[in-house]
Amino acid sequence: MNIVKRTIDGIYNLLKGMKVTIRYFFKPAITLQYPKERWTMPERSRGMVGLLSDPETGKLNCTACLICMRNCPVRAIQITQKKDEAGKRVPDEFVIEAGLCIYCGICEESCPFNAIKMIPKYEFSTYDKKQLTHKKERLADIGKGSKYNKWS
Amino acid sequence: MLELDQLFKNIYLWGENLFTQWGIPLFWLELLGMLIVAVIILAFMSLSVLFLVWWERKVSGHMQSRFGPMRTGWHGWLQTIIDAIKLILKEDTTPGTADKIGFLIAPIIVFVSAFMAYICIPFGKGLIVKDLNIGILYILAITTFTVIGLLTAGWCSNNKFSVLGGFRSAAQIISYEVPLTLSILGVVILSQTLSMQSIVNSQKHIWEWYIFRQPIGFLIYLVAAIAEINRVPFDIPEAEQELVAGFNVEYSGIKFAMFFFAEFANLFLVSAIATTLFLGGWNGPLLPSWIWFFIKSFFLVFVIMWFKWTFPRLRVDQLMGFAWKFLLPLAFINLILTGLFA
Repeated sequence: MNIVKRTIDGIYNLLKGMKVTIRYFFKPAITLQYPKERWTMPERSRGMVGLLSDPETGKLNCTACLICMRNCPVRAIQITQKKDEAGKRVPDEFVIEAGLCIYCGICEESCPFNAIKMIPKYEFSTYDKKQLTHKKERLADIGKGSKYNKWS
Repeated sequence: MLELDQLFKNIYLWGENLFTQWGIPLFWLELLGMLIVAVIILAFMSLSVLFLVWWERKVSGHMQSRFGPMRTGWHGWLQTIIDAIKLILKEDTTPGTADKIGFLIAPIIVFVSAFMAYICIPFGKGLIVKDLNIGILYILAITTFTVIGLLTAGWCSNNKFSVLGGFRSAAQIISYEVPLTLSILGVVILSQTLSMQSIVNSQKHIWEWYIFRQPIGFLIYLVAAIAEINRVPFDIPEAEQELVAGFNVEYSGIKFAMFFFAEFANLFLVSAIATTLFLGGWNGPLLPSWIWFFIKSFFLVFVIMWFKWTFPRLRVDQLMGFAWKFLLPLAFINLILTGLFA
């Protein structure tokens, strides 16, 4: 009789397993069809690095104080300074090697002028390594439309 | 209504008229008819295999919360067609140390044995290529040739994984052939015929279906048939994790496609046989008979796929023990009881 009981037990357990799989068969799939559908990234997720500008004047917030450049652990940031017409210090060249960036966010944290920010944009793969060197215009373009809201 | 047998009969009569007008012996019509039927069967097999591969991938995907193929066509329905074209266009390589002749004929044996068994499948009312009076025996005999092909493939590849896979499949198929045949014998005792059409005709009403009179026989048949076609949970001949791919490691291109084709053709074949023997074949209300046959067969195919994506693989000794120590005595008990009470 033992074998009969074991057989029935076995069949019962197999049916239990089949119940699980058929339930998942009728559930909707959780796959994201990537190029067709995209995630909405969280507001504070660390994606590309961008430069923020004043929404009224359109000028960059950056004063080329070089704090982010000194704090960057992988030295991905290169800045040269210059003076503008009003005698104010502004960045002449602002280069971020996106290929070197480790997305630590220290540049954003250390910036005293709310000028640099990790933007929740993430698609910037290219066929050419040179295009990973983001210049000032590109960085301003990336940061366009982003508001600075530290610790909010 | 939409019965197809009348259509084929009319085409044949039209051909007969034509041939007698032209004064050609009817022998040539028979020959032509055979060729056309063979082409139709081959086309049907190809279509069903293409559909089944796609369906298998969709079923597996959805059971794992995925989609399966999605990019080519609506829900990826073109995927298997593209895969088939790719396999046919691929370079056909033969390993340098392989036995050339055996390596070549092994996929052909497997393919042909799957193809020939389709001759005796009643697809609908009068829709059978040749209603042999020993139909089911013929199918059992012809499908056993698969094992020769698999063993040849394993041996002639001259690769240790291949030969292990070949040995395993030979041991497995020969072991499971016995309970499979014994489970079918119960149906044969009840219907008192070996012809497939007569077996279908003997289960006109739903309460006459042999699944209700032979439930144990049906279960044994299903399990043994899954083992026969080397599918999970009995897929040790091609256990990917142990044997890479079993007997077909060295195969590529169209030869591999033939193995693959035969595998899925056999999947449909065992479902079709189970439908014929246990589920009343093409009998059913309202719809045309061939549609009923396909509904039942594809439901059984779905059940077998469902098994595949639910159950883990058995070990080799468990597999053999299950066949000889459990299924075989059970099949004998079932047969004796059937013989006593029939």
